[in-house]
Amino acid sequence: MEKVVFGFFVLLAATLNFGFFLGDLSDPAKHNVYELFAAVVVSLIATVLKFGDRTQIGAVHLATSLVADLQLIAASVSWAYATQISSAGLDEKATASVVSLSGGALLANLVSVVLLVIETVSFHRR
Amino acid sequence: MNRRRVVLGPSTETSSTIFLVLRRMRAPLIVLIVIFAVSVFGLTLIPGRDAAGHSVRMSVFDAFYFMSYTATTIGYGELPHPFTAAQRMWVMFAIYLTVIGWAYGIGSLLTLVQDRTFRQALALQRFTRTVARLREPFLLMVGFGQTGRLLAERLDLIGRRLVVLDTASGNIDSLDIGAYHADVPALVADVQDPRMLAVAGLEQPWCEGVLALTDDDETNLLVSMTAALVRPELPVVARTVSPAIEHRMLAVGSPVVVNPFDRFGDHVRLALHAPASYRLMSWLMSGPDVELPEPERPPTTGRWVVCGYGRFGRELVEDLREGGLELTVIDPHAREEPGFTLVVGDASDPDVLARAELADAVGFVAGTANDTTNLSLVAAARRINPGLYVTARQNRPDNAPLFAAMEIDWLLVPAEVVTREIYAQLSTPLLWRFLQDMPAQGDEWAARIIDKLFDHCGTRLGTLWKVAFNPQDTPALLHWLNAGEARLGDLINDPYDRSRTLPAVPLLLLRGDDVTLGPDGDVTLAPGDQILFAGEPSARRALLETMTDRTVSEYVLSGRVVPSGWLWQRMTGRRSAAR
Repeated sequence: MEKVVFGFFVLLAATLNFGFFLGDLSDPAKHNVYELFAAVVVSLIATVLKFGDRTQIGAVHLATSLVADLQLIAASVSWAYATQISSAGLDEKATASVVSLSGGALLANLVSVVLLVIETVSFHRR
Repeated sequence: MNRRRVVLGPSTETSSTIFLVLRRMRAPLIVLIVIFAVSVFGLTLIPGRDAAGHSVRMSVFDAFYFMSYTATTIGYGELPHPFTAAQRMWVMFAIYLTVIGWAYGIGSLLTLVQDRTFRQALALQRFTRTVARLREPFLLMVGFGQTGRLLAERLDLIGRRLVVLDTASGNIDSLDIGAYHADVPALVADVQDPRMLAVAGLEQPWCEGVLALTDDDETNLLVSMTAALVRPELPVVARTVSPAIEHRMLAVGSPVVVNPFDRFGDHVRLALHAPASYRLMSWLMSGPDVELPEPERPPTTGRWVVCGYGRFGRELVEDLREGGLELTVIDPHAREEPGFTLVVGDASDPDVLARAELADAVGFVAGTANDTTNLSLVAAARRINPGLYVTARQNRPDNAPLFAAMEIDWLLVPAEVVTREIYAQLSTPLLWRFLQDMPAQGDEWAARIIDKLFDHCGTRLGTLWKVAFNPQDTPALLHWLNAGEARLGDLINDPYDRSRTLPAVPLLLLRGDDVTLGPDGDVTLAPGDQILFAGEPSARRALLETMTDRTVSEYVLSGRVVPSGWLWQRMTGRRSAAR
């Protein structure tokens, strides 16, 4: 059961991130802010789930997760800056920076998924 | 034999604290994140109304901002616009939800801090760090019961550092109450686990010895074996009450095994044969600043009655028999053996005690493992024969006042015997040599040494110390030693008035492997000699001056006053013979 929850959140974090990233880089209409919000939340949960695992692969999991968090939070902050503070609003440039930051997080999330797959495969071999 | 060194390796548990915290906090953190997410999401969905009356939704940023200050109980109010009723309902729900989340999170953290496993992990980490940072020689003491505590106090007095391990937390806690000069790192741990010994610094170069003092013989055996395998060169002292375990201990490595019952028997034998030797021994072994003990005068002829024929009784009976005494043993389970008369039965039963015919006995030993029984036995025996010489065994230290009130002639406290024994071995190795060889010198000789100590130092033995005559320790005496006419008697003159002698008595002279006990003033010293002195601490300081300061040594040894300054030496043309 623990493995199911763990795999679920890791995958969900990656898919949500992917969904947000998908579409024209600089078009605000193609990127839903709720999807970004969900991606941040799920990514945080996935990070907490990885706490306290002392194996080598567990440590790498945690590291990739932290990278994804950092990227997503940076994306959220730049989105908040664009919508609330900047006079220009959510223009193409701001959208591009938000989406590209989330793209970085996507890469980290993909590594997480790869790790998950490796873990599963090596577990079966034993 | 060139044995491969065993390495125990660091314990993996030392780094676990942070992981433990993280793992325990998983659930509360996830709950908090979910609660925040739900609250923020809900707030962004519910339409609000701005100042102009238009329907607007809160942005994710505003919602997060609002939830942040609401959940942390700061509460700035309803931003950016006053809320509608629907929004307020949702906020109310969110507030209660976050309170639950925080309570759960903080509660889990507090429980974790109280948690035994967590505290143990923390204590282990702190202990490991403290031991690893020790930069002076220390003794590793395993077992901190009565014996451990007594010994730790005395070793601490002479400035030895200790690291303590014990299975019982009560014993370790007593360290906080005790007043020690040096900080004593201690840990509650399973001492049967060799890795714990490694954590306690067994593999560290600063570890100078291992003391296995637990109440459990098997544990002591294991500790002694571990130490012998991991650090074959380390001195190990182990306590046991079983001859079988003693044998097994000696099979691996070469630990010093202390068996309190056996040693007490030896003391009894010595006291029977040579009371003065015994008196001198117990004086020297008691530690610094102890009064001259009263001479023990156990009756050396006649019949002794021994109650209890366990490990203690057996050892004692053997030694008493070798002392040429008649013996009667009272024990409910013992079997008839040659050499003593056996009375089978419980000694606390008056009929059984009567059968032992105490009226014409001279000595009585209450040697059972129960203090109450021993006390009542002593009282009963005294009632039958008030003139008896009474020996009793005191098992628990708390009962000391009771035994003191009974005015026992000779009291055996096993913990005390072990403590003295180990102290004598660890404090000054030369003292141990002295005690080993002393009984062979005879009683008269011992009596003379006692008189000598008494004349020089009074009834209180100040301190014992070792002097090694070598270029490092005694630079000012080199020419004197090399001249070949170094009388020991000249050295112990007072640096302030050389016609007086310092209150110090040389007990032993070690040259190579040859030992001279009680060297007199006419002994000629040579470089490389070692001498064990007994005397006042002031004499020790004065001797140190004589040994290190050329001006002082010149005066003490020959009476010449040499100027100490370079200029004055040039002007007077008088210089020390050392140059």
